[in-house]
Amino acid sequence: MTDIRKPYRPKTLIIGWVIAIPVTLALVAFMATNKRFHWDVVGQYITAPAILGGIWLTIWLTFVSMAIGIVLGVLLAVAVRSKSGLLSWLASAYIGFFRGSPLLVQLIFWYNLSALLPSLSIGGMQIDINAIITPMTAAILGLGLNEGAYMAEIVRAGLLSVDPGQTEAAEALGLRPAQILRKVVLPQAMRAIIPPTGNQLVGMLKNTSLVSVLGAADLLHSAQVIYSMNFQTIPLLIVATIWYLALTTVLTVAQHYVEKYFSRSLTNSNFNRKVVKPAVTDQVPTPSVQFAGETSKESAV
Amino acid sequence: MTELIRLSHIDKSYGKIQVLFDVNLTVHKGEVVCVIGPSGSGKSTMLRCINSLEEIDSGEILVDGELMGYSKQGNVYTRLPPKVLAAQRENMGMVFQRFNLFPNLVAAENIALGPVMVRRRLRKEVMEEVQTLLEDVGLGGFGDHYPAQLSGGQQQRVAIARCLAMHPAAMLFDEPTSALDPERVGEVLRVMKDLAREGMTMIVVTHEISFAREVADRVIFMDEGRIVESGSPEQIIDEPQQERTRSFLSKVL
Repeated sequence: MTDIRKPYRPKTLIIGWVIAIPVTLALVAFMATNKRFHWDVVGQYITAPAILGGIWLTIWLTFVSMAIGIVLGVLLAVAVRSKSGLLSWLASAYIGFFRGSPLLVQLIFWYNLSALLPSLSIGGMQIDINAIITPMTAAILGLGLNEGAYMAEIVRAGLLSVDPGQTEAAEALGLRPAQILRKVVLPQAMRAIIPPTGNQLVGMLKNTSLVSVLGAADLLHSAQVIYSMNFQTIPLLIVATIWYLALTTVLTVAQHYVEKYFSRSLTNSNFNRKVVKPAVTDQVPTPSVQFAGETSKESAV
Repeated sequence: MTELIRLSHIDKSYGKIQVLFDVNLTVHKGEVVCVIGPSGSGKSTMLRCINSLEEIDSGEILVDGELMGYSKQGNVYTRLPPKVLAAQRENMGMVFQRFNLFPNLVAAENIALGPVMVRRRLRKEVMEEVQTLLEDVGLGGFGDHYPAQLSGGQQQRVAIARCLAMHPAAMLFDEPTSALDPERVGEVLRVMKDLAREGMTMIVVTHEISFAREVADRVIFMDEGRIVESGSPEQIIDEPQQERTRSFLSKVL
């Protein structure tokens, strides 16, 4: 007769279940029976054209601001590490300023830029700031420039995580500084950069809701416009919340796959790679015949 | 013999600690120089100064008549910009103790990177040469392997092929077998012996005394940042003149 083996289960876990199950049930009952939730209104507005338009703008704003943030972050991270004291100082000052002041304040500031700088002339061309700074441009400027400061710190940490020997080997080969960054250091830094960047992307998606104060027609603002007319505040906030949760879930799943992709070369060890086909070792040519035997043995490791 | 590398009066410090004292060395084309000595004697630092991975405090390093790492006006030496340093390093291969292959690239791509990116050669033509180089180091079928899938000895042989792809005028080896299993040391030394036989100019920092005896044209013994003794392998290994050399060799042989 074979033995039966059971995993260790602490008895105290039962207390957890005893508390969790009734609390969950009570919560569900509260949500289902409380008429004030107005689930019918939620159902009515969940796919309303105004809401769908708001979702589209939220997604668009998230990706554009994030793209600006990432590009800016890489440039700032490289600048911080640069040997030029001035460049390094300027980048640090930028990061300090944009991380140190609230995003909401920055957004409102950009929106009111024309109060400070009514018009700008570049090369004889007169630019009316008031015409350029719409809620959308203010939103992109505010979110993108702020994100750049956070991404700079993430990229900098990623660059630091790469073994200095990699840069040395690339330098010894004669690769130019830009090539070393692009071909050797950044690809390896990605492994450390991707997870916090995914985090930032989820954060960005939620932070776009701040632009509703500027009157940009994002998801939250679209919901606000509707409930300011029909006074169904809670149901419409639930509609917005459901969509925010759905979007962040999609992003989280996507992040998982991106992470897997960037760690592929480093996790492919001898162990999880199938044993090299004998055909390959047959190809080991004869000029350096002394190795042929060795290599076929090694490949079976 | 034509002179290829000349170090004259090199001093080098890390902060307050001086690691090289008045190092003088001339290496001729096709010569194999082995540098031996205890840890911390400045062997690796000297090697890293030659291709300007390290800055020096005084003295000059000339490679093929060209001053390495600095532009000189009168007695003022100004460090060259990174792009110019890179151009100087193109012609000198360096093999590291820890291999330093690029883990994000397969073996063949590791080897092709220099010729394609730096020499701007056609990828297709380079890949053909990469195959030949892999075969030369006994790794014909391993081009599509990532470094993590190769043993230490195999990685080091790829690293050597990576240098050779740049057709360097000289190669610097920084303890190339120190991080290897004893069983894997032979396969790397064999590739290096082939190179020496083909006339490659080599400076090899090593603890492999028997390799030095067999392959070197000249052996240099370093201690505490100074070249203590220099001569043929027989002179240095078998009949060292200096007490310090004798005591070192008696411990490692």
